[in-house]
Amino acid sequence: MNRSRFIEGPAGSGKTTAAIEHVHALLRDGVPAEQILILVPARSLGTPFQRAQATPDWPPGAPLDVVTLGGLARRGIELFWPLIARRAGFRDPLREPRFLTLETAQYYMNRLVAEQIRSGVYDSISVRRSQIIRQTLDNLAKAAVNGFTLEEVEARLITAWGDRHSSRPPVYRASVDLARRFRALCQENNLLDFSYQIDLYARHLLREPQYRAWFAGQYRHLVADNLEENVPVVADFIRWAWDALDTALLVYDRDAGYRVFLGADPSGMAELADLCQEVEHREPAGVSETPLNALSSTLAALLDGARVDESEPSIEPGLALSVQTHRFFPQMVDGVVDEIAALVEAGTPPGEIAVLAPLLGDSLRFELIDRLEERGIRAVSHRPSRALRDEPAARAMLTLMTLAYPDWGIHPPVLDVADALQQVIEPLDPIRAWLLAQIVYRPGSGSLGSFDVIKPGMQERISYRSGEQYERLRSWLLAFSEDAPTSPPDHFLSRLFGEVLSQPGFGFHADLEAGRVIAELVESARKFRQVLHPDGADDWREPTREYYTLVQEGLLAAQYLSSWQMEQQDAVFLAPAYTFLMRNRVVDHQFWLDVGSSVWWERLEQPLTHPYVLARSYPADQIWTDDLEFYARRDALRRLVLGLVRRCRERVHLAVCNLGESGYEQRGPLLQIIQRLLQPQASEGDV
Amino acid sequence: MAVERTRTAWLSQFVFSQSSLQDFADCERRFQLRYVEAQPWPAVQSEPLLERELHAERGDRFHRLVHRHQVGIELSELAPYAAGDPDLAAWWDAYLSFVDLHRLPGQRLPEFSLVTELEGVRLVAKYDLLVLEPAGGAVIFDWKTYHTRPPRAWFESRLQTRVYPYVLARAGRNLPGGPRDASSIRMLYWLPAFPADPVEFVYSQDRFEQDEAALSALLSQIRQRLAVTSSTAITATWPLTPDERRCRFCEYRSLCARGDVAGIAVDEVIDSDFDSSSLLGLSDVEEVGF
Repeated sequence: MNRSRFIEGPAGSGKTTAAIEHVHALLRDGVPAEQILILVPARSLGTPFQRAQATPDWPPGAPLDVVTLGGLARRGIELFWPLIARRAGFRDPLREPRFLTLETAQYYMNRLVAEQIRSGVYDSISVRRSQIIRQTLDNLAKAAVNGFTLEEVEARLITAWGDRHSSRPPVYRASVDLARRFRALCQENNLLDFSYQIDLYARHLLREPQYRAWFAGQYRHLVADNLEENVPVVADFIRWAWDALDTALLVYDRDAGYRVFLGADPSGMAELADLCQEVEHREPAGVSETPLNALSSTLAALLDGARVDESEPSIEPGLALSVQTHRFFPQMVDGVVDEIAALVEAGTPPGEIAVLAPLLGDSLRFELIDRLEERGIRAVSHRPSRALRDEPAARAMLTLMTLAYPDWGIHPPVLDVADALQQVIEPLDPIRAWLLAQIVYRPGSGSLGSFDVIKPGMQERISYRSGEQYERLRSWLLAFSEDAPTSPPDHFLSRLFGEVLSQPGFGFHADLEAGRVIAELVESARKFRQVLHPDGADDWREPTREYYTLVQEGLLAAQYLSSWQMEQQDAVFLAPAYTFLMRNRVVDHQFWLDVGSSVWWERLEQPLTHPYVLARSYPADQIWTDDLEFYARRDALRRLVLGLVRRCRERVHLAVCNLGESGYEQRGPLLQIIQRLLQPQASEGDV
Repeated sequence: MAVERTRTAWLSQFVFSQSSLQDFADCERRFQLRYVEAQPWPAVQSEPLLERELHAERGDRFHRLVHRHQVGIELSELAPYAAGDPDLAAWWDAYLSFVDLHRLPGQRLPEFSLVTELEGVRLVAKYDLLVLEPAGGAVIFDWKTYHTRPPRAWFESRLQTRVYPYVLARAGRNLPGGPRDASSIRMLYWLPAFPADPVEFVYSQDRFEQDEAALSALLSQIRQRLAVTSSTAITATWPLTPDERRCRFCEYRSLCARGDVAGIAVDEVIDSDFDSSSLLGLSDVEEVGF
């Protein structure tokens, strides 16, 4: 190794800029770009490197390889599969692997969980089927990223539980048993979910001499950014690659580590500094010279348990804050929208405003978007795994699907049919759609009658034009029954959309948002078909029904809006606070909603797994106590709050609601900290 | 101002490729919808869907096998992966008998990309295989797993034939052996279903200059469209292709009110490899989201 460097410091201290400059310098020295590997913990965190390549002074050559360990693993497995498939114990090593998405992995696990649920093993906890599946997949992922066996996962969970209640250990065992059976199913069918890809990469491919030789020939320089958000197996990978590299630059944010619940290991990654020849500590430019810096340092001190008079910033931190207090939730939403409208009116671009909540529920999301749009302000929301069935356009498609497959015996209620008709037949308003549905739809058989036989007076009331469109749709659905055995679900959805619903005169003709949503639905159905039925089907009606059922159960079809789309839009950004942090985006104004809510401080209830216990740095024989839970939450809140403030340029706008969405009075820990900051004389709480 | 910001952001993040430029050349509206607005439109592009998908998947498997071979995996390890599918097996046999390739000396860069700047934007070429000859020459190989062999004139008209050698000539300065002179570059389309009938183009300085002018003109045209769009409305519609036959194989046909049913494309060559990676993105595996 010619040169190795570790840069650590908080957000805003220029670490990523230094990393980009390092890459630029390598290129200026004549290093081919294809020899530089940029390793990031999440795709969104690679954006600064992608942007840097777009600058005019960036030299021509190969594009930078900006990748996550998951991406590297997938590429490696895909290319070198013939070398590892047999050794890894796959039943049919001569067949190519199939890579599972989170959605399709859930489907396979769904096939295995039914028997367990029937046995009653999960009855002692309140948990839905989809939660059992997701948390079990999470246990598999935690095992992979920490290099644990499933036996170790089981032992850690049970040990950490201690002697609280005897019903929990059997539940942990059941989840790990489900994970084992899922892994066996994957091995039997060459299926690779995220955890298996990481596992195969770490345990097999990295030990394969030909891969090592290929890697050493390919990459001579490593830049690893946001190490604090990465998982322990990444540290193993860096150590594995170390001796073959000419240079390495490792970048670490000492105050971050937001992805602990996804397996990030900030303390373990900090130890990589020991490998490096140089360690550089950075501070943000101009500490305590602005109200925001003062706010950040005061909050840090308060969250560390200091008294207000101990933090003593040179500038009043309250200057960077504005607070609005309301009694009820809708008033808070109105207040926030008013303040955003005033900012936009005064010249702030909407893209410089982020509205952040601990969780972003549907009603809050819709309400904010609607209210902002009423003021002519565009807003985009990002919830990484919002169920598609909750989108009106997707619901309409699914309702029409049941009407196209009457032999399923799934007959939607009249209300759903009316809603679908109103959306897809352009001239129909809700009242006429309801009238039409009530007349033509027979819920007993799930069939649609003809418009032509309706009494003329009623035809006129519904309108002949609507009737014409309705007849076209009905004829298409009837004619489709002949094609149903040979049409997979994605084909049905695509054809219905393209041949009817997006034609002129139909509701989705120029509805770009519906196009977006239905494209996600089609993509989800296509993945379902390709992964679950790779060899096709003699009759697609039953697989299509399976797909429909899974969507209805919320197991399939989550939507993932690409980061590119999000970044492109000059729109107010609505997101859960952690999602915003992981985009590593800086905005002028942040609105923190419902600051009094205790959800800011809580972690997701996950009775089958545990983000802190399933970590390499956590002692395997230690019980998870209430004290540990308290400190973990306080630490998480500290990281969250500091991370947000450091990603704000102008002002943090706090919105407090005395009564939460469900009507209860709120005084969560974040609010207590803010009160101590603003009113030093107020009594100090426990946090 | 907001529109201007959006347009600038789009241009700075977008990487033009042969397929996106071909889209613009074929239909400006398609380019606008696919790339500028990133508007998904889930209608069927062409029928029969399952057969086309099977064919595309077979093509991917062929590309992967060649890639594996080019990174040094033993033939004995690879052969079984071609067996079981008669078409793929035949293509693989043809590849193994492709003596001109196997005897060609030089460093091999399979699945290799280069990016250059032109008219203030980025232009990428993704090579199936680039061979850097010891004497300073470079050969670009592109595998085309078509059912039919299009005539040479068709290949000549494709923007890929311009973009690939042009980008190599401009961006290859850090390649092993130094920059490649335009006159030392050859491009070869090789069709495994027609192994004895490759289509070769020899590049030259003249051709390089012509290509630069043509590509610059195309990019200027796109810039102009973006400028007009931003001065009116972001959603202003760009011109639709005058050749409505193309619409039969375009998923946006219903949005443009140009038909309802997708065309049959079993024996037609339509280069539909929409290049989604032109958008800022990474090849990546899905993680557990939050």
